[in-house]
Amino acid sequence: MVTLNDYLLASGLLFSLGFAGVLLRRNIIVIYMALELMLNASALALVGFSRFHVRDGLPDYNAQIFVFFIITVAAAEVAVGLAIIVALFRARQTTRVEDLTSLRF
Amino acid sequence: MSFPPALLELLVLCLGLALLLVESFTEKQDRTLLAYIGMVGLGVIFLILQLLPPGPTGMASYVFDPVAIFFKKFVVLTTIIVLIMSVDYATTIQRFVPGISSQAGLGEFFAIPILTCAGMMWMASAIDFILIFVSLELVTISFYVLVAFMRRNASSLEAGVKYLILSAFSTGFFAYGAAWIFGVTGNTNLVRIQQVLPALGAENYSAILFGALLVLVGLGFKIAAAPFQFWVPDVYQGAPTPITAFLSVGSKAVGFIVLLRVVQAFQSLPPVGDKVVAALIILAAATLIYGNLAALPQTNLKRLLAYSSIGHAGYLLMAVAGISARDSGQAVVIYLAAYLLMTLLSFLILIIVSNYADGDEIVNFNGLSQRSPLLAFGLLVAMMSLAGVPFTAGFLGKFLVFKVAYESQQFVLLALGIITVGCGFYYYLKVVRAMYWQSAASNGATIPVSGLSFATIVLLVLFTFLLGIFPQMATGLLR
Amino acid sequence: MVQDYLPILLQVIVAIGFAGVALLASVVLGRVGRRNPTKDSAYECGMIAKGEPQPRFSVKFYLVAMLFILFDIELVFMYPWAVAYRDYIATYNAWTIFGSMFGFVFILMVGFVYAIKKGALDWKR
Repeated sequence: MVTLNDYLLASGLLFSLGFAGVLLRRNIIVIYMALELMLNASALALVGFSRFHVRDGLPDYNAQIFVFFIITVAAAEVAVGLAIIVALFRARQTTRVEDLTSLRF
Repeated sequence: MSFPPALLELLVLCLGLALLLVESFTEKQDRTLLAYIGMVGLGVIFLILQLLPPGPTGMASYVFDPVAIFFKKFVVLTTIIVLIMSVDYATTIQRFVPGISSQAGLGEFFAIPILTCAGMMWMASAIDFILIFVSLELVTISFYVLVAFMRRNASSLEAGVKYLILSAFSTGFFAYGAAWIFGVTGNTNLVRIQQVLPALGAENYSAILFGALLVLVGLGFKIAAAPFQFWVPDVYQGAPTPITAFLSVGSKAVGFIVLLRVVQAFQSLPPVGDKVVAALIILAAATLIYGNLAALPQTNLKRLLAYSSIGHAGYLLMAVAGISARDSGQAVVIYLAAYLLMTLLSFLILIIVSNYADGDEIVNFNGLSQRSPLLAFGLLVAMMSLAGVPFTAGFLGKFLVFKVAYESQQFVLLALGIITVGCGFYYYLKVVRAMYWQSAASNGATIPVSGLSFATIVLLVLFTFLLGIFPQMATGLLR
Repeated sequence: MVQDYLPILLQVIVAIGFAGVALLASVVLGRVGRRNPTKDSAYECGMIAKGEPQPRFSVKFYLVAMLFILFDIELVFMYPWAVAYRDYIATYNAWTIFGSMFGFVFILMVGFVYAIKKGALDWKR
């Protein structure tokens, strides 16, 4: 039997993976993928909570609506984000975070 | 009057979309016309807001209370002033945005702030995590575009990427925290959460605290609280200056209203609420110390204002941390009103001067009092108010915040606050010294100021004094 | 409950096992035979391989793909809306639910018109 704990464990792992990826990776595109992983972790947690939070014999759909919004917002974020990263690559020929140092004092 | 308040955001949204369409269908028209249409449209919205009484909206996730009205007016006013700044800044935008015509990209630069404004207005009314999340993202994603707007300028792009990564990071925390809060309480609505919380068993406390702290981290990024402030100096310096002003005033203000509402909701469960307040106290202390100390060695005015905005977030957090005191919300509101006046005033003058001097170092302000007495006086007032000199709006805000800290018996924070105000005097007066005691490097030609900016500067200076001299005016802000 | 997933698990094991065995076998057998440059080159149905293994796409491809994702993902709201429509109008005002979807599609349309007018879908430019 798959319990709520299993879903939460999986979502916790996803979140930690994303978190570690953002902190450790040096390529902006990979960092961006890790960020999406963090959003997906919350989506998974929400679906898990919704499935096990039964109201009138049905799962609580409020959380699933939230998941829909997370998915669409993430898509919009990716579209804008990738466009900015592409523009940066065209200007600087790099996607590594170490090279982003023109704004230091 | 049967004007449904939720229509306001839709009107602002339609205004923004209409500007985008006009932008794409006309090619020869002067683009600054779009900015003027936007200002007039937002002015009408402001008037409607002035007339609408607070009341029930019939929606579970949307409130129209006095605080929401204040914040809506606040962001509409901010957007209007940002548009005024953008018109002055248009030449710089044209230089750094490639395109077929010389005015390529300008239309979007005027239209997107209006869409951002709609998002901020939604945030002011949102009391449901779903609506908060979506409106927060509307604001954030439009800011991605705006911060990275100057595609030919390496520092604008770099600022855009940094803002992108760190904002998406904070969104991840916010969403995960909201998921946990939903998991424990079974609700995404803050009012319902507040009702459900006291009935929860002690075994849920750690889970709900986990969720609350994650949400706090997410919001901490948005309001630029230490230790989540590291993106601020770079992004503020690299972004187009009107957008820096918009970020430091609008984005921060709506971050604070969400923070207020969330923290308020958790006060119904003291074992968790007290820990949230403790976390806020730590954030406030760290933010006060970092923002004020790091501002000391700055030589670039834009970067100095970035650190100063971190410092002001510290004072605002002090007021939020004193949520047990009766006037906590009022102190936040009045502080923000003062902050709007003085910050927008300094950014407006910064844009005009740096347009002329081609740089925003403090050195560029040398001898400004001879070249343009009005600009120098305006910046003097802004700096005095930011530092907290009596009889200016900034003093009133700081006074109320300290009063709240005293009433809620946070004496450590109070002491820190008073010490950091001392620091503030040093670095704000550095700018004043450059303007009044140093002589200009170049010839002493006067700096041209457009009529609209002139009127805005005069009005902002006037209100900075009015708010400082007649504090009862400020209480009227919350009817 | 867990037993229901047993066939999937078996399938996964078979798939991974087959792939692993095939790869291993090719490495082991490859050691035995004689090698020359022709044998080592990629096999493309007897044609001589040319170009890079991962050709570069025009950046316009990504632009169109991004726009596609943006408009495609919005369908996620239309499906639940269509499912809930009949139940909703039985008890509430039909114009509310119809109007909200109309407004939603209108905003999408504005975005679409903007993209066309700005030449984002203009392949040749």
